[in-house]
Amino acid sequence: MAGLELLSDQGYRVDGRRAGELRKIQARMGVFAQADGSAYIEQGNTKALAVVYGPHEIRGSRARALPDRALVNCQYSSATFSTGERKRRPHGDRKSCEMGLQLRQTFEAAILTQLHPRSQIDIYVQVLQADGGTYAACVNAATLAVLDAGIPMRDFVCACSAGFVDGTALADLSHVEEAAGGPQLALALLPASGQIALLEMDSRLHEDHLDQVLEAAAQAARDVHTLLDRVVRQHVREATISLGD
Amino acid sequence: MAEVVSVMTESPAGGRARAARTVLGQVVLPGEELLLPEQEDEGGPGSAGERPLRLNAEARSQVRVVCGPGLRRCGDRLLVTKCGRLRHKEPGSGGGVYWVDSQQKRYVPVKGDHVIGIVTAKSGDIFKVDVGGSEPASLSYLAFEGATKRNRPNVQVGDLIYGQFVVANKDMEPEMVCIDSCGRANGMGVIGQDGLLFKVTLGLIRKLLAPDCEIIQEVGKLYPLEIVFGMNGRVWVKAKTIQQTLILANILEACEHMTADQRKQIFSRLAES
Repeated sequence: MAGLELLSDQGYRVDGRRAGELRKIQARMGVFAQADGSAYIEQGNTKALAVVYGPHEIRGSRARALPDRALVNCQYSSATFSTGERKRRPHGDRKSCEMGLQLRQTFEAAILTQLHPRSQIDIYVQVLQADGGTYAACVNAATLAVLDAGIPMRDFVCACSAGFVDGTALADLSHVEEAAGGPQLALALLPASGQIALLEMDSRLHEDHLDQVLEAAAQAARDVHTLLDRVVRQHVREATISLGD
Repeated sequence: MAEVVSVMTESPAGGRARAARTVLGQVVLPGEELLLPEQEDEGGPGSAGERPLRLNAEARSQVRVVCGPGLRRCGDRLLVTKCGRLRHKEPGSGGGVYWVDSQQKRYVPVKGDHVIGIVTAKSGDIFKVDVGGSEPASLSYLAFEGATKRNRPNVQVGDLIYGQFVVANKDMEPEMVCIDSCGRANGMGVIGQDGLLFKVTLGLIRKLLAPDCEIIQEVGKLYPLEIVFGMNGRVWVKAKTIQQTLILANILEACEHMTADQRKQIFSRLAES
């Protein structure tokens, strides 16, 4: 796509956003009645669904039980209809495994696993429509689902992706911007303490620009936290109203 | 199209700690830190000159504040770990209990809770009982009223048991018994034949077990029934006919999402028919 400029002279991106603007986020908690916790999030055109079970007995081999912590088991899957071309993805393929591992590292940092030794917490994330920023949408959906399940966490986990074009850092990349091939990173943040749960980048970026891109991603993650905070408060208010107090 | 992210008026507390007293009854989220009442007096450096000079060095009273579910100690502050409403209870002595009232479906065993369990296995002298937590609880065959080594209780795999936990912490397998500290059954033991077992959320159980709950009184006026509530979210109900049992089960499951007016309408409609 020669001639497609990701950042115009007036500072507008392909979809009309400014450099640091997020896409529209809508989220709902408690979507499934059968699961312990569930949540659905839409970040622009990226749609992700997260379901949480636990803490329950270790399934499979008892030998995997950790004596002092809970085992966090994350599985990522993306629907065949989620991308522009229909692709059959077997469950154990490399991208799903890698995403599952990254989600596990992210949530082991936030969930208080010492409170439930020898048990297992399952987090299943499904991407229904992928338009860039799938890792961030998965993390945000999974945070809401874990909160819905009542599993104790030390803080929210909010994630966002960021890229770098023409000397400016862009926040929350869409598929068009990711496919253009520039540097991009994904950041998962614990907003209250400002600690980073996971930072992932597998493209080339000059180290002088790293601070700028990291700051753009961190600010975007804090903005996501503001929105998720509102969603959770609304959900808790509605739940306690029908219970009468 | 994208939308500019607007900063809402009720901004998240973030790293700023608030006094627990001011947040009572409001929604709190994980990551927030709360200050206890006696820590509010220790203001910044500017307030040092305004505090009255204390002649008695031990004048500061030591109150014990208990951290309930949903709160953890973090230094000298309370860290919120679950989302819900902050509640406080003032006992006779001490600083009281703070806890977070959260909605949950998964049960975590707590000592002293009365629960309904399903017997899953008999191995030697103990029964394995599924209580909905992360491990099956163990129940000794001697923990029934009037049970001796010769006189074993009549418990089969698949029976429903109503008992209480004597050991329930994160490090050990939970243990339950069907007698109280005096050795009497007190309503616990094997739950009889027939009836229906169903699951509701933990918040609804706590509400139904509150001392002045109207729902139970209204339900009792409808049909004669037997009902057992387990703190693990399980309810067993039995009425004269199967249809009445199903009606009661549906009402209790739906109570969670209905307001008081809708409930009264449904009860009046059922009482007429």
